[in-house]
Amino acid sequence: MPLTEKITEQHLEENMATFVGLLRQEGLPVGTTEMIDALLALQKIDLSSRGAFKTALQATLVKNRRDRLVFDRLFDLFFVPAELHRHRAEETILQQEELTRRLEQANLELQFKGEALELSMGELQQYSLLSAEQRSRLQDFVQKTESGNNIEPQFRPILEMIVKSHLRYCRGQDELKSRGGPAAGGAGSGGDGNDYLREIDIEMIAASDLPAAELLLQRLSRKLAVRILRRRRIGPRSGPLDLRRSMRDNMRFGGIIFNLKHKPKRRSKQQILLLCDLSASMKRYSTFVIHFLHGLHEVVRDLSCFSFSDSLEDLTAELKGHTNIKQLLDRVIRRSKTWGGGTDIGSALYLLSEKHPDRVNAKTTVIVVSDTKTVALEKAVKELKRLKDRVRRVIWLNPLPDGRWSDYRSVGLVADQVEMWPCSTIDQLEEVLAGRL
Amino acid sequence: MTMPLAKLRKYFEQVGYICDENTVLTVYLALDLQKPLLIEGAPGVGKTEMGKVLAEILQTDLIRLQCYEGLDETKALYEWNYQRQLLRIQMNRALEQEQINEEDLFSDQYLLERPLLKAIRCEKTAVLLIDEIDKCDPEFEAFLFEVLSDFQVSIPELGTIPAKQIPVVVLTSNNERELSDGLKRRCLYLYLDFPDVEKEVRIIRAKVPGIAERLAWETARVVALLRRQQDLRKKPSIAETLDWARALVSLNRSRLDGKMVADTLNLLLKTRADQQLFRQEIGVEGIERALSQSGNDGEINGCR
Repeated sequence: MPLTEKITEQHLEENMATFVGLLRQEGLPVGTTEMIDALLALQKIDLSSRGAFKTALQATLVKNRRDRLVFDRLFDLFFVPAELHRHRAEETILQQEELTRRLEQANLELQFKGEALELSMGELQQYSLLSAEQRSRLQDFVQKTESGNNIEPQFRPILEMIVKSHLRYCRGQDELKSRGGPAAGGAGSGGDGNDYLREIDIEMIAASDLPAAELLLQRLSRKLAVRILRRRRIGPRSGPLDLRRSMRDNMRFGGIIFNLKHKPKRRSKQQILLLCDLSASMKRYSTFVIHFLHGLHEVVRDLSCFSFSDSLEDLTAELKGHTNIKQLLDRVIRRSKTWGGGTDIGSALYLLSEKHPDRVNAKTTVIVVSDTKTVALEKAVKELKRLKDRVRRVIWLNPLPDGRWSDYRSVGLVADQVEMWPCSTIDQLEEVLAGRL
Repeated sequence: MTMPLAKLRKYFEQVGYICDENTVLTVYLALDLQKPLLIEGAPGVGKTEMGKVLAEILQTDLIRLQCYEGLDETKALYEWNYQRQLLRIQMNRALEQEQINEEDLFSDQYLLERPLLKAIRCEKTAVLLIDEIDKCDPEFEAFLFEVLSDFQVSIPELGTIPAKQIPVVVLTSNNERELSDGLKRRCLYLYLDFPDVEKEVRIIRAKVPGIAERLAWETARVVALLRRQQDLRKKPSIAETLDWARALVSLNRSRLDGKMVADTLNLLLKTRADQQLFRQEIGVEGIERALSQSGNDGEINGCR
């Protein structure tokens, strides 16, 4: 609806309510207070200026830089200049027909066991907007999944989830491209433009997006380091008595000591031992976890890093002091004897305990990144049990979607021994580590 | 405190705070609607400066509350002057005067004003700058709600104190952690990004008198080039750009070259890792290339 018409018809409040409703549908936390503020702000500006109108709404309704993308998109769609509005009305009819045809086509192309996947109109539309190559890749993925071994009809929701997640990812990329990409936001760009990568399965992130994903990991790990440091400083009072603060605090009672004040307890930084599966299916996940944990070096006193596949390799020394992790990991991967080979978790755990006993002690938190697929499963479980008794904690990060864990015996056996968390997306990785370090 | 938009725009120019229309309008709305203004953005884009500039424009006091972890109401709002209260009790006892009342001890003369109370009790509208709100604890953030929405504070011994004049409140955040929805709801929001080259040239020329126009352009171009390096731990701020420009002026430079940039790099990049990254990714050659390109584009020559 054209902006000028809205104002003359004095339907501003109704239109604002509709617009706010749309923002809410897209997940923006816009409350009644914000809407009232927006209406008050509109009374203070020159409504004939589209720029001023947009700024007023932006300042009052959007309180987060990430939400700006959504706001901009909806604003451009909702508040359309009059001429463009008429032109669009004519186009809409044609587009509607084209859209109906495309959605029908999409429903035919995305089928599992003879039935169309349950996708929303928006998702089907996103699919129809993909390039022929992208569409064919997604069709291939669905078909391969359908023709795999032991595929039950119950697998449908998981497949739908993966397809939806991929379509969301594509939408995020489109939005970014339409605004010139993350680096195009002036000389600055605070760096929040790659947040759409957070929910994508790490394995599905396109190679062209990997640098952006690495930056995102760096940013998140720095934030997490700050949070962990703060949480520790605020922690419970159990340090030595702080006489000066106690005296000062009890002055109000005439010097009689009612309240004792303590100095904060000194806490030693954690020792973390990272054990990464570098087999072919796991290398992307492992790389991401190493990236993330390396960024936490301020809170992690001693980060040891081992890679394993059929044997164990110590990467600790090489990780220290390196600023360009990607470069380092590429080098390690090139010369690694184990990269891309089969996986023997049992041997790796045995070698870790035998060859590096100094790194495995009661202060160590061991983080294992693996999908639990291994040869000699019983040996692996036995070694894991032995390791668990020697260290402070073992956290197992499993990139398999948790809905599929029950399909694998190895997952069940490992999960009986240690705590296991899904880590297939950057969001999950952050959540697990933030809660447990 | 209301002020026409055009006048506000003019004042911003007069005090040398170069900003876009979006920023001026948001500040205007915050002043007119008497709402706190929450400014987010990378370090060094001029968030704190906004508070100072507003105090200058409105010709009023700037009351600054610097946030840090562990900040509590005794440091932000008020504290009783315990030493003085104790002395009074001891004096009464020593002089064997009659018993003093509790009301006497908890009166204005024993109250130590901290920034928030000072802003609330100020006779003239003050600018209250709550700087780096993301560094304080969430509990303190919740404590601010009363001040930010009702412009009043509650002191148990004295009751509720409403603001004599509603202060202009500016909150800044480096986005180190997500602020609560409650706080955001009470504020208007402004995101400040690093300026583009053209705007940065205007800032440099406004703040560094005597700088050659060509040097101002080259300085801004180099800084923009550095800021485009996504891997930098800390991108150069506007303040650092200005320091660098001043240094170049004091070195009697009228234009830049790669070697000069490399020699004075520590004014812009302040960690070893960032300096290493510069040498690996850009280097003297990269700077020379960027400077010659900008010269060819006519961006520098065109404005001489």
